Amino acid sequence: MAKLLGSPKALSITIVIAAVFVVSILGGALGNSLGFGFLSSSLPAIQLPAEIVVQGFDTPVGDWDLMNTMVTTWLAIIVLAVVAIFVRKGLSEVPGRLQALFELVMEFFINLCESIAGPENGRRFFPLVFTIFIFIVVANWMGILPGFGTIGRVADPSEIAHHHGVHHYSDPAEDQGHQTGSSHKKASGHGEEHSGHLEKVNLHVFSGTGGIAILQPGSLNEEITFHDYEEAHGDVGEGKRAGHLVPFLRSANTDVNMTLAMALIAMVMVHYWGLSILGSLTHLGKFINFKDGPIGFFVGILEIISEFAKIISFTFRLFGNIFAGEVLLMAMGFLLPMIGIIPFLGLELFVGVIQALIFSMLTLVFASMASVAHGDEEHH
Amino acid sequence: MEGDIMNIGAGLAIGLGAIGPGIGIGMLASKAMEALGRNPEAGGQIQQNMILAIAFTEAIAIYALVVAIIIKFV
Repeated sequence: MAKLLGSPKALSITIVIAAVFVVSILGGALGNSLGFGFLSSSLPAIQLPAEIVVQGFDTPVGDWDLMNTMVTTWLAIIVLAVVAIFVRKGLSEVPGRLQALFELVMEFFINLCESIAGPENGRRFFPLVFTIFIFIVVANWMGILPGFGTIGRVADPSEIAHHHGVHHYSDPAEDQGHQTGSSHKKASGHGEEHSGHLEKVNLHVFSGTGGIAILQPGSLNEEITFHDYEEAHGDVGEGKRAGHLVPFLRSANTDVNMTLAMALIAMVMVHYWGLSILGSLTHLGKFINFKDGPIGFFVGILEIISEFAKIISFTFRLFGNIFAGEVLLMAMGFLLPMIGIIPFLGLELFVGVIQALIFSMLTLVFASMASVAHGDEEHH
Repeated sequence: MEGDIMNIGAGLAIGLGAIGPGIGIGMLASKAMEALGRNPEAGGQIQQNMILAIAFTEAIAIYALVVAIIIKFV
């Protein structure tokens, strides 16, 4: 510490960092109570299921909503495809920088597969394992780019009420055209009827009426409760509107459907490999076992349960980590905007790659476990 | 009132749910360090297996976290 403070360069850097952090804290939600809070915006509405970007496509198989996680998933696929084509075109004997990077990662994974599953099975498992890895890494890292979760459309109060289980909510802002007397009656009636559902919900006030909105820095106090919104008959000021931000882009793995789909693909492939390597009788014999008496039969049932537990743990490990990361980033952007959030972005980069590694490694380990008969394992 | 109790529930869910995995990860890491001290050449393999085992342990904390998130936001 004394050495650090001794050199003038280190000292000045330390002072700058400290000053920047103080600015960040003052600009955030903590500084807001002291009258600052010029950098932070209010905490966005956090919602567990993916938000709807475009409502109601009429397709032959029913109504489809375009979810923001779906957009991101396709973006990740496009990025991967473009990079793949780019690397494939520039392939040469003497690798360039991009090719060297991919060779490094692929070599690491091929070695990993071969060391865990043996040379023959390792090559067989490698494509799925590596695909899962690069897809999850790209999707997770895309999720912390600027623009994710911050730029979107505005959901109006009736849509929010619908989401909270209050159907047929009529927006007081749209009722204003009618005579004020009946409109007021209606509004107060709503207040009583929905107080249980909506009293905890805050609306953000956005300036501008375009299709694209952001939560602007310094808009910490631009919040209004549902009750106040109805009291004001939906009038929040000239050129302003109330609602929630619905981001166009949201990290792909914050949707349970996405992680569940990947877990199902991984486990179906694991069992496909088990069946094709061991033969159906040997593989199914692990689960439905009459040879070893009642204990063996019960062990078989436990194995069946553990297969389903694997799917659930695959799903929720990835989903929980990435969703918690998003919530953490939102909360930190609220408390320590712009600068204080940087270490947490680094943490999310780390979590993203670790979770991808774990998902693919576990797929590999389960696959190599499924491709070994029970008898062989014991004689090692 | 109901919302307040739900907040307490969410806090308890993740707080209590983190105790077990916390102890578990500590034990895992301490054993891995011991093994590393005895046999430094096996460092790579020990680290790999340790990360895998920590992922399994951590999953339990993540389940608690998911429950807490569901209580809070659904």
